[in-house]
Amino acid sequence: MVDIKHHKTVQHQPNKSLLETIEVHNIEIQYHCREGYCGACRTKLLKGEVEYKTDPLAFIDDNEILPCCCFPLSSIEIEID
Amino acid sequence: MKYTTFNQINNNPLTEPMFFGNPVNVARYDQQKHQIFEKLIEKQISFFWRPEEVDVSKDRVDFQKLSDSEKHIFISNLKYQTLLDSIQGRSPNIAFLPIISIPELETWVETWSFFETIHSRSYTHILRNLFGDPSSIFNDIVENEEIKKRAADISKYYDDLIFATQLWQTLGEGVHTVKGVTHTITMRELKKKLYLCMNSVNALEAIRFYVSFACTFAFAERELMEGNSKIIRLIARDENLHLTSTQHVINLWAKGKDDPEMAEIAEECKEEATEIFLNAVEQEKEWAAFLFQHGSMIGLNKEILCQYVEFIANHRMSAIGLGQPFDVKSNPLPWMNNYLSSDNVQVAPQESEISSYLVGQIDSEVSADDFGDFDL
Ligand code: FES
Ligand SMILES: [Fe+2]
Ligand SMILES: [Fe+2]
Repeated sequence: MVDIKHHKTVQHQPNKSLLETIEVHNIEIQYHCREGYCGACRTKLLKGEVEYKTDPLAFIDDNEILPCCCFPLSSIEIEID
Repeated sequence: MKYTTFNQINNNPLTEPMFFGNPVNVARYDQQKHQIFEKLIEKQISFFWRPEEVDVSKDRVDFQKLSDSEKHIFISNLKYQTLLDSIQGRSPNIAFLPIISIPELETWVETWSFFETIHSRSYTHILRNLFGDPSSIFNDIVENEEIKKRAADISKYYDDLIFATQLWQTLGEGVHTVKGVTHTITMRELKKKLYLCMNSVNALEAIRFYVSFACTFAFAERELMEGNSKIIRLIARDENLHLTSTQHVINLWAKGKDDPEMAEIAEECKEEATEIFLNAVEQEKEWAAFLFQHGSMIGLNKEILCQYVEFIANHRMSAIGLGQPFDVKSNPLPWMNNYLSSDNVQVAPQESEISSYLVGQIDSEVSADDFGDFDL
């Protein structure tokens, strides 16, 4: 499950990136490259763990993730700003 | 400290700071102090493209269909972008290379600058197609007041750093009088100039292109000037990567992961760094006003463009710890994202599905003349 603060809790879709899951549920999230190098999708990870299939190049802080190229490893809680 | 093209001191590059340590000697990438720059080099090289591969010939016909105010918008943006890439094609090399101390950052800067020269060459490609002889357009860049104003603001931080570095490398730290003017050169001052310069470059890569990108992609939404749009997408992809690199440099400093003195300076100069960014935002808004002085274009007006600049600025200021000073919460131009995504970049625009645009429903066969006195 993906709990999106100030929005709702949604089911993560297998084989989709976190960004795609969020989009499927019509929640506004910013993106440009969709490949982990621009940082437009930068999001706070409040709880849980994610993994990357492509190396994220964009700058992210320790508590941040790039939904365009990450996949949840557990139930997670995130905050889109 | 005198610059040397091959520093003979057997230093350990893994303990050098990014800037103002020993000059680089061996260009080696088997070990890296900051791996990110090597990754950025690889990514940038994987983006390699040549302007000549993009067919812009159809744009010539489209250009004739544009209204006078739209022509003004299109050409002015190309002039502004030409200015930006003229500066970026040389300045990171001249300002940063003499003071860089780790090989992966040195090569990143060279790679970055090289791509800026591809951007410059692409403007000649676009303009030559439209005009045959584009020299009057290029000549105007050094005469146009609106452009000159921006050029002065962008180049001053580079020039300041370059001049101080030259004094330091020839005369060392101290008080130096050159042609009757006294300059105090200390390492602290040099690092401060570097910090401000990096912030100015970051602001340039972050927002200075976006008014012009928005206009280009708004034309493309109407299936106009699509060759140009394809080139601008390739440029925008590169610019996003450049921005990532300046964000990394600034954050490595601020988080104390490089030169500890730079962390202090980051703290000390936070206000000035914010000023630099906000000033760039203001100038972009003024640019939008200048573009639309003779009338808007379909799908865009000054207000929405200014909101978009604020929206992008919020995101990009928060990435370097400067907060989100503007009040725009959602993206005023959501269709822009389709053009900025890598998924679509190699595909001709007419083949990709871009549907969220507010006037996307308008019949693309309608000519610009039908909107002669259409004002947004
Ligand atoms: S969209 Fe570019 S990093 Fe996620
Ligand atoms: Fe560029
Ligand atoms: Fe750039």
